[in-house]
Amino acid sequence: MSSSPRKRSASDVILIAILVISMAALVVGALANGFWDVMFPPEAVTRQGREIRSLYDIVFWIAVVIFVVVEGLIVYSVIRYWRKPGQDELPVQTHGHNLLEIVWTVVPTLIVGYLFVISFQTLTSIDAVAKSPDIHIRAVAQQFRWTYDYLAEDGVTVLFTEEVATADLGGGMHVPVGANVQLQLTSPDVIHAFYVPKFLFKRDVVPGITNVFDFTIDPVEAGQTFGGQCAELCGTGHRVMLLDVVAMTPDDYEAWKAAKIEQANATPPPKPSDGPVSATLELTAKDIKYDVKSLEVVADQPFAIHFTNADPASVPHDVDLRTGDGTVVSDEATIDGGTDTTYTFAGLAAGTYTYICSVHPFPDMTGTLTVK
Amino acid sequence: MATTTLHPAAATTYRSSLYEWLTTTDHKKIGILYIVNSLLFFFVGGILALVVRAELAAPGLQFLTDESIYNQAFTMHASVMLFLFVIPILAGFGNYAVPLMIGAPDMAFPRINAMSFWMLPLAGIILMSGFVLGGAAAAGWTSYPPLTEDRVLGSTGPGQDLWITGVILIGTSSILGAINFLVTIFKMRAPGMTLFRMPIMAWTVLVTSVLVLMATPVITSALIMLFIDRNLGGHFFDPSTGGNAVLYQNVFWFYSHPAVYVMVLPAMGIISEVLPVFSRKPLFGYKAFVFATAGIGALGFSVWAHHMFTTGAVFLPFFSLMTFLIAVPTGVKMFNWIFTLVRGQLTFSTPLLFALGFLSMFLIGGINGAFSASVPVDYAIHDTYWVVAHLHYVLFGGSAFGVFAGLYYWFPKMTGRMLDETLGKIQFVLMFIGFNLTFFPMHALGLQGMPRRIADYASGAGWNDLNMAATIGGFIIGISMLPFLWNVLVSLRSGAVAGDDPWEGNTLEWATTSPPPPYNFDRLPDIRSERPVFDQRHGHGAGGHK
Amino acid sequence: MTADSHALVVSEEHSPVAGLAHDARGGISNPILGMLLFITSEVMFFAGLFGAYFSARAQHTPWPPEEFAHTLNPLSLILVATVILVLSSVTCQMAVNAIRRDDRAGFLRNMSVTVILGVVFLLMQAYDYLLLADEGLTLAAGSFGTTYYTLTGFHGAHVFGGVLMLGVILYRGMAGQFSSRHHDAVEAASLYWHFVDVVWIVLFSVLYLL
Repeated sequence: MSSSPRKRSASDVILIAILVISMAALVVGALANGFWDVMFPPEAVTRQGREIRSLYDIVFWIAVVIFVVVEGLIVYSVIRYWRKPGQDELPVQTHGHNLLEIVWTVVPTLIVGYLFVISFQTLTSIDAVAKSPDIHIRAVAQQFRWTYDYLAEDGVTVLFTEEVATADLGGGMHVPVGANVQLQLTSPDVIHAFYVPKFLFKRDVVPGITNVFDFTIDPVEAGQTFGGQCAELCGTGHRVMLLDVVAMTPDDYEAWKAAKIEQANATPPPKPSDGPVSATLELTAKDIKYDVKSLEVVADQPFAIHFTNADPASVPHDVDLRTGDGTVVSDEATIDGGTDTTYTFAGLAAGTYTYICSVHPFPDMTGTLTVK
Repeated sequence: MATTTLHPAAATTYRSSLYEWLTTTDHKKIGILYIVNSLLFFFVGGILALVVRAELAAPGLQFLTDESIYNQAFTMHASVMLFLFVIPILAGFGNYAVPLMIGAPDMAFPRINAMSFWMLPLAGIILMSGFVLGGAAAAGWTSYPPLTEDRVLGSTGPGQDLWITGVILIGTSSILGAINFLVTIFKMRAPGMTLFRMPIMAWTVLVTSVLVLMATPVITSALIMLFIDRNLGGHFFDPSTGGNAVLYQNVFWFYSHPAVYVMVLPAMGIISEVLPVFSRKPLFGYKAFVFATAGIGALGFSVWAHHMFTTGAVFLPFFSLMTFLIAVPTGVKMFNWIFTLVRGQLTFSTPLLFALGFLSMFLIGGINGAFSASVPVDYAIHDTYWVVAHLHYVLFGGSAFGVFAGLYYWFPKMTGRMLDETLGKIQFVLMFIGFNLTFFPMHALGLQGMPRRIADYASGAGWNDLNMAATIGGFIIGISMLPFLWNVLVSLRSGAVAGDDPWEGNTLEWATTSPPPPYNFDRLPDIRSERPVFDQRHGHGAGGHK
Repeated sequence: MTADSHALVVSEEHSPVAGLAHDARGGISNPILGMLLFITSEVMFFAGLFGAYFSARAQHTPWPPEEFAHTLNPLSLILVATVILVLSSVTCQMAVNAIRRDDRAGFLRNMSVTVILGVVFLLMQAYDYLLLADEGLTLAAGSFGTTYYTLTGFHGAHVFGGVLMLGVILYRGMAGQFSSRHHDAVEAASLYWHFVDVVWIVLFSVLYLL
């Protein structure tokens, strides 16, 4: 190929055309369909999140400029310096240019230096952990659910525990807006991560360490619910470890909290430990699944469930009852693997209920109890 | 053109018998073995990727009702791509090209070279055997404890232990290869081939080998410790018995971060050979390149904890600063490559197209990586699809495009035949479009909150269209492999005869036959610059240069 | 090979590493450079294990834990084993020096002693493990036990590999394959053996003395 290049063949032209047109179509099509908006994180709902967003915007625009300049240089060079038919003589064999090397070493160093400094400033602000926050909560991450222990001012005593992680099931981490909420993160099993996209924030939950971070939800967000989920692979149920943060006005929060404390302190209803039962249903748990997904029982009569935990000794299960909307009807004690027990329940009104393992609610340890 | 052809031509290497291929200690054959084996695993890893993308195309679990299979799929996709494709195929190119480029007759330790290769198919079988023996590794290629110590809900089956064994075997193969490369480069250069006249490919292989030598043993230690925890009652990483889960991450990433430079530097070496040849100019800023490469290698050891910013257990400012700084030598290289093109005479050939693809895509990968260097921003994007976008832009858009540039560039030298240019360009166009369609949307998915490693997502999250686009792109990438395969098969049989120097190359491999004789060179040209074959063709100092 | 016409013939006195095997172009030989690089990789392997050790140690007080406060006693069998290993390095170097001056008998003698001392070290280590296990220190005995056995166990494995390597050297020596001009393999193997010894000295100091 030392002679002049042949004229560009038809197939080359077609291929260039396909490439350029397809890429252009993709870019235009994407932008026309709102792609620009999703290249930014969602609007932040916490003070810390807004600071992260401001930082993101700066980094983003610097990135855009760098991309346009450098990519532009590549595209320009490709178009401008194409070898044309007849160009046989070698181009000037430039080996380098010291000044240029210095320029494109120093300028990027200054840019990244600037980015580092502003990042560090933002970091110091958002990672600050108050000595006396307004609210203390501890989020406990397990395979595969979240629970929230609401703590007293000492940050240790548990006032009550919100067992249900998400709002659609009647739970969620309720917090007041405008208050500095300090969240402790613990896990008894594997590494998880607490992630709320609208906080623009996540923090790992590492067994053996208690990570702590503060957040303050903007007052304007009262009444909103922010979804999140576990963001560190934690096993086969990783994708179902959903969570919600429910923002309330301070008054609503106090009312909710008072009701929760009352519920926690209330004596549970007496259990029908003796007496005849209308039926004893059989249920077995194995491989983190119930073997039966639907059960039936007669209404208004006490009944029992003989439950066998056929998983290894280290894996506990239980059988709790909840109404269709998630309200807990009966919270039973867990049993270790390799054991069995008989749970007795008071008679229920006719309707559809859910039976569920409180330790592994998803994906497979839940079923429907029809009461007729 | 060439002055070194033998008459009659030497037997072509690829037509040797099966026995010769199985017992060879010739670096050229071993290099080809590495490349072929790696491409096989590229297809395996690609299939696994398509399994993942097929499941994620739409919300709801469509194909994989057992979630652990999904976890196995992405774990093994990454493990196969990293350990059985990217790292070995670049070692294969190094094996093939470096002795030729420095004028050596072979590598320093040819039998150890052969052993290094054969450990790879064995390790691959061990890794993949998990699928049929009760479950492959399923805790991510990062294999974090305590999940990997949890045999009930995490790493069930023998897959994790097979994974540990396979990866240690691959690491050992890598280390032996690194020793081979270093001794070859330091001790076996032809007269006149000073270190600063070596092709950049040799430099990148040199720095890569230093990284492999120093870093790989550390992951061996991490995996051995994990094995002891899993099987011998050890207490390294299990917090419930006094261990430290974050310790694993530190030891793991101490290797795995330099590893990403192992995965990209030789590819940078390849395009540093391709761009000058197809611009008809020398590489701009050769010395700067060498220092930038060394700088990346050194800095690469200081950034590992940027994978752990959200653990709450690292000294954030140091690692953030070093991560930002490593962008500087990378940028130096980018500008030097571009200025190689400037005022050149570019030829529209497939190797150049893939090299240009590397430049464009690696640029994006470098830019989106800088977002993660900023700790607060990382808090938002860590462990989301943003990171999946970043890693694929650098590893696929970067390394894999560099690999294909190398394949099209050196296929003629390896086989004596040219690959078909039209088929090559079709592959490039399909791959480029498919790649960007797959991975650019993932920036948005990550920003909007889609975490990594989930088999399914809520249909109301707003992620449906972007996921569907990514899946379509993935299948386009798969389709782009067809013209490539067809090209190789047809060209091996009936491609145009290449001759010694079909591209007007600069470096010594073009001063011998295609394929070269077993001892590589009959006679070497004088070596007075980093472009000895160019000098021979045009006379040293031709074309006017500064 | 064309290299011959440009080769520098370097005599022993002018070689920068006089005495160490060299090739025609000067500098250390390929096998020895290869062994030095291999040793570098092994140092990094132990660095990973030591990192885990120091991390565990920093995390747990007291260290050693109370139940093992006096289990690792430097003034015991392990000290004898240490002396034996150091001695074996001396005899190893004596073997190298012998073959450098073509004293093949001296080489074989000293190399045999080295191999024997190496085996004795391993046997002592194994016996010491039994004694420690009797006192309750096993691999599963908390971080202390895990780190102790992992570090010393892998060192022992390296000693075992070294004994095999030296055994091969001894065998080849007995077959007359080494002379003052050709004994790269002996140099390389001895470098490995010294490395194994140095690692032990560090291990012993860290585990028993610090």
